Amino acid sequence: MVMKNPEYIIKLENVTAGYLITPPGIRSLIKTRYIVLKNINLSVNKSERIAIVGSSGSGKTTLLKVILGLLKPFSGRVFIYEYDIYRLPWRERVKILKKIGYVPQDPFKSLNPMLRVKDILREPLEAHVIRGYKESKIESKVKSIVKLVGLPEKVLEMYPEELSGGMRQRVLIARALVSEPEVLILDEPTSALDVSVQAQIINLINDIYEQFKPAILLVTHDLSIAQYIADRIIVIENKEIVEEGLIDNVLSNPQSHFMKMAVSSYKDNKNKLKLEF
Amino acid sequence: MVLAIVMENLKVGYIIEDEVFWAVKGVDLVVEEGTTLCIIGESGCGKSTLASAITGILPPYALTDGKLKLFDHVVINGQLRNYNGIRGKITAYIPQNPGTSLNPFLTVEEHFYYVLRSNFKSDREFSKKIAMEILPKVNLDSSVLEKYPHELSGGMQQRVIIALALATNAQILVADEPTSFIDAHLRLQIIELLGRLQREFKKTLIVITHDLLTTSTICDYIAIMYAGKIMEVGPREKVLRNPRHPYTKMLLETTPILGVKKRLKPIPGEPPSLGKEYQACLFLDRCPYKSKECYSDPQIQVIENSHFSKCWKALEAPWL
Amino acid sequence: MIRRSFIILRRSLRKIRFKIGIVISLVAIFLAILAPYIVPRPQEGLGYVPRDVEARRLLPPSIEHIFGTDSLGRDLFSRVIMGTRTALLQVFIVITISFLLGLLLGAIAAYLRGLVEVLLNYFTEIFMAMPTIVIALVLRLTLGHGIHVTISSLIMTWWAWYARIAYVYARGVVELDYVILARLAGLHSLKILHRHIVPNIIQPLIAQAITDLGSVLLEAAAINFLGLGVQPGYPEWGVILYESVFYGGGVEVFTQAPWLIVFPGVFLLLVTLGFSLIGDCLREEIDPRLRRRWRLWF
Repeated sequence: MVMKNPEYIIKLENVTAGYLITPPGIRSLIKTRYIVLKNINLSVNKSERIAIVGSSGSGKTTLLKVILGLLKPFSGRVFIYEYDIYRLPWRERVKILKKIGYVPQDPFKSLNPMLRVKDILREPLEAHVIRGYKESKIESKVKSIVKLVGLPEKVLEMYPEELSGGMRQRVLIARALVSEPEVLILDEPTSALDVSVQAQIINLINDIYEQFKPAILLVTHDLSIAQYIADRIIVIENKEIVEEGLIDNVLSNPQSHFMKMAVSSYKDNKNKLKLEF
Repeated sequence: MVLAIVMENLKVGYIIEDEVFWAVKGVDLVVEEGTTLCIIGESGCGKSTLASAITGILPPYALTDGKLKLFDHVVINGQLRNYNGIRGKITAYIPQNPGTSLNPFLTVEEHFYYVLRSNFKSDREFSKKIAMEILPKVNLDSSVLEKYPHELSGGMQQRVIIALALATNAQILVADEPTSFIDAHLRLQIIELLGRLQREFKKTLIVITHDLLTTSTICDYIAIMYAGKIMEVGPREKVLRNPRHPYTKMLLETTPILGVKKRLKPIPGEPPSLGKEYQACLFLDRCPYKSKECYSDPQIQVIENSHFSKCWKALEAPWL
Repeated sequence: MIRRSFIILRRSLRKIRFKIGIVISLVAIFLAILAPYIVPRPQEGLGYVPRDVEARRLLPPSIEHIFGTDSLGRDLFSRVIMGTRTALLQVFIVITISFLLGLLLGAIAAYLRGLVEVLLNYFTEIFMAMPTIVIALVLRLTLGHGIHVTISSLIMTWWAWYARIAYVYARGVVELDYVILARLAGLHSLKILHRHIVPNIIQPLIAQAITDLGSVLLEAAAINFLGLGVQPGYPEWGVILYESVFYGGGVEVFTQAPWLIVFPGVFLLLVTLGFSLIGDCLREEIDPRLRRRWRLWF
């Protein structure tokens, strides 16, 4: 595959997306549209860190599904490099999606309880085996990735149910990193974790960024986490992008309802606590 | 000064497959009437179990030990539990998930009716009158009375639940993670509402949470809980400004605050698993300040009036 | 997978109910395998009428005939024990085939979605709506006598239930993130089904299948009792009951020769109970929501 090296990695052009509502029974074959995202324009450049924030139900997860090639938008186009992914058949699409590492939301539902950690981590590499990826090479790759995310090597032989929430999240990040992605997509990476573990994961993500410089796309409803990971922020409200810009600018001069609420609540917070850090 | 809640070496555990797992491993705590106490801890540290012990919703396979007194009722005495006349009359519970805590087949008005009927044998007229009085207090207008839970947003559902807890006229309100299912930017509103109501009605409020920053804005006292025991208790300002337990200090440093961009200092390791018994200090594995004496169970150290810490080094406090 | 099964088995083995069920089922399997060597008159067990019919007609239980004899003078003990073989054969064939068929179709319907899902679900529902006896009647008229009528009519109605259970469980699994991650990694659909979906839905299905062994046994006996399956003379508990009622002189058999009904009936009951106890305990272990937190006497 020859990449023409465009300036963006992911680009969304006028994407309107949503779900088809399925009525019960035989009428389920006739479907109606329910729009969740309207006219989204977005591009993710190389080594860029973007946070997508919005209240729950604002369509953040749907946007991720569109980017991951799982939900065909009603109109508009989604480019990854120069490929319009929804014009490609699934087999071809998956080859391009290899360059996107996805860390799902809930670490407790995202690992197959029947597989050992080493089998979970091998999975993204299995398609490479045909292209001469040697068995021993896979093994050493998996081992180095496990070390990278700060897990002991004995984890490889364990089953997910023996791991704690933070360790599961590390396994998921490792799984996303195995195929050497150019973009790392994180869907609420800390919402299921405790505060003390949350900081470990945030620091891990930052370390990974320092080391490999992948573009990072973070989806969250918590601005305080977004500010630690992202440079640029995109606010989604009522199905549309309402605000966009560098995180410091947006925080000092919020425009949208969501941001105003969030910033004011945190300002109060700081004043009341009078904490000095 | 009336004491609302008195716990003396309270232990609560569960029987799971013939084995006893202690979730709360000996808690001594006294709460004055009309104050707000915030119990902060990570998941699995037993804080929800403590909440259900106070409100009287422990499952039948739970085991108890020690003593729990609510006003002048002895509720837990050793293995005996007696919640007669407690639930709904002295304690009220504000549950974690508002979406699943309201019956989808009942309107808000009917919720008020059933709650009040079970406590005061009141009729529909009376319950409607009470509901009309209380709903404005939680910033809802009376039009929600006709609505079903699914027609309300998450924040409104949470307000309805708070209103239901107030309607029973119970003196002790226990809120179990009242903000965990609400978006980050709306959390402060609900917390401030709780604080305002507590002051207005002079209730005793216990807030169970893991969200140190938002919740601590309303409380008078903070209790830090870890692995089934209380690590530090004290007035809010003192605990936050002058933490006398390394866990409190590290928890403060690990919490992300908007607008303050420092590198987070995570607490290494993971909390100990439920049910294990330790002779040593519970925080030993994760503590950077440990020394020889930490291998014995720390005594409670009095730092100041009503500021206690369960750490051998609380008085020197090398982390400050 | 294997490790999980061991854990579940070990946990179940703590229960007396499970042990009782295992003992009953093992005895039944043992009897089925060794039946011709245990019984005193294997030929009579297979339905051959002895020469001295008149002398041995309807004898009550004695040392020579432990369970007594039937109206054609055959040793009932031989017939009942030989019947264990037929019973277990029918039951295991029916459950195995309908289990595999149901698992496959249910998982495929949940995984593929769209038109396939709708059509497969309607197809399943049609079969769920059919009464077994009516199907057995139709097959009896088209295929003739024999054990294959019993087995195929039972399979036709039982697979649909497994398909439905597999579909419901698989619907939950398909939504989970590890299936989505596997799809994004470019895994082949068959591999996803094999690695991610089937292992995660198979446990409750196996427990259900073991519980159902008993129900299938009862229904097979009912079909044979009505004369829709095997012919009279065949060593099958349903047929033995039929013969005792209709060859033994009608309703009087209840009072005059109760052993004819009691012994095959007790065997039916015990084997059904054994399978149900095993299935029940396994289901409690697999699905923690069903687990009892308190102890009864067993």
